[in-house]
Amino acid sequence: MSGRPESERSDWTDLDLLTRDEAYGRLQEEIGLTVGRLAELGADDAAERELLDTRLRALREAAEDLNVR
Amino acid sequence: MPLQPWMKLLSTDDHLIEPPRLWTDRLPAKYRDLGPRIVEQARGEGQAPAEVWNYEGRIYPYIGLNAVAGKSPEEFGLEPTRYDEMIPGCYDPKARLRDMDLDGVWGALCFPSFPRFAGTVFLDGQDRRLALLCVQAWNDFVIDEWCATAPGRLIPLVILPLWDVDACAAEIRRTAAKGAKAISFPENPVPLGLPSFHTDHWDPVFTAAEETDMPLCLHFGTSGAAPRTAPEAPFAVTITLFATNSMYAAADLLFSPVLHNHPRLKIGLSEGGIGWIPYLLERADGTWERHRFYQNVNQTVRPSDLFHKHFHGCFIDDRFGVEVRHHIGVDKITWECDYPHSDSYWPKSRAYAAEVLADVPDDEVHKIVELNTRRLYNLPA
Repeated sequence: MSGRPESERSDWTDLDLLTRDEAYGRLQEEIGLTVGRLAELGADDAAERELLDTRLRALREAAEDLNVR
Repeated sequence: MPLQPWMKLLSTDDHLIEPPRLWTDRLPAKYRDLGPRIVEQARGEGQAPAEVWNYEGRIYPYIGLNAVAGKSPEEFGLEPTRYDEMIPGCYDPKARLRDMDLDGVWGALCFPSFPRFAGTVFLDGQDRRLALLCVQAWNDFVIDEWCATAPGRLIPLVILPLWDVDACAAEIRRTAAKGAKAISFPENPVPLGLPSFHTDHWDPVFTAAEETDMPLCLHFGTSGAAPRTAPEAPFAVTITLFATNSMYAAADLLFSPVLHNHPRLKIGLSEGGIGWIPYLLERADGTWERHRFYQNVNQTVRPSDLFHKHFHGCFIDDRFGVEVRHHIGVDKITWECDYPHSDSYWPKSRAYAAEVLADVPDDEVHKIVELNTRRLYNLPA
């Protein structure tokens, strides 16, 4: 697979792990999208609004946790 | 929307990072300094020391973060890292559950990291007794701690002491009794210096897997050999060809005695995608039709029949595979997420799955994302 010494190899030596920064960025993007979807909802979309509000809170909490080291 | 809110997404290929004290908390006192433990290693000036695994004095610099093509050379390769640079869901099961909830994912089967995806790092062990204890410690951690955090959601997959086939069979039975649901096994043992599928060496393992009704999960890369065309070829070539490892494994097993001698064996091709399956089966059947007579292969059962009886695959975003699902067999397809690797779509895996499956009837979607995995891995609803 690679010329690296055996002890330096792993099955995922060449795979990429989601980093804190990448994860934070993805959460911010999803927060933005969720806020946008909420803004598009009408007055009779209460159930959808509640679901999205719940998701938005969870996304924001997760992002806040990742942003604090 | 074929992916209905009440369908529970079960991923057959996720990964976990071993917490630092996994082995030191479980090994007998005399082995604690020799077994895998996290030690600090100096990095550049102004940087916190790296955390690396030390196993029998050998340093394994990858606890988790490995970079790839797409990042600058300074950022990838041999850069060791620290736990505080990871997202906690990598190594903390409660954090994992929160990330799964954000992602709309109900269940996850997690492969190891430091031990490599099929536990092959313990083949490096100089002390076989210690290596066996290390394998058992990983399995006990997964069953007693990781998956016990959320039974039914975190699905126990175990590794084996691959240097001793009888010990492998014993470990399968021991862990099955504790609740294990799947076994990680090398996609090809030969590059690891182990006997091939064309010998009877592994029969005790396959028998134990049949008896316990646990699938053998062959994750690509577990042979230690990834597709690489040239030293200077960009890594994009290897990434593009990853699924060929699963093709090798499928062809190897289809023309081996294994599936004829073990009629109840289940094989999962983990992270290998599914779109290639119809072509490979057509090719394998054609080869069998024309060339079986002068070779030491089974003369009565077509390879495609064997495949449909024994194999299942999984996909993240294999749109072509979804399109040709009836050639693969809808009952043979499972869904995967691959968290926490960056090719996962976290935190929108569910939304992405809905998009990929948008043209698939509801009942087939339900099979692919949930019911097939429940049936194959014995997971009651």
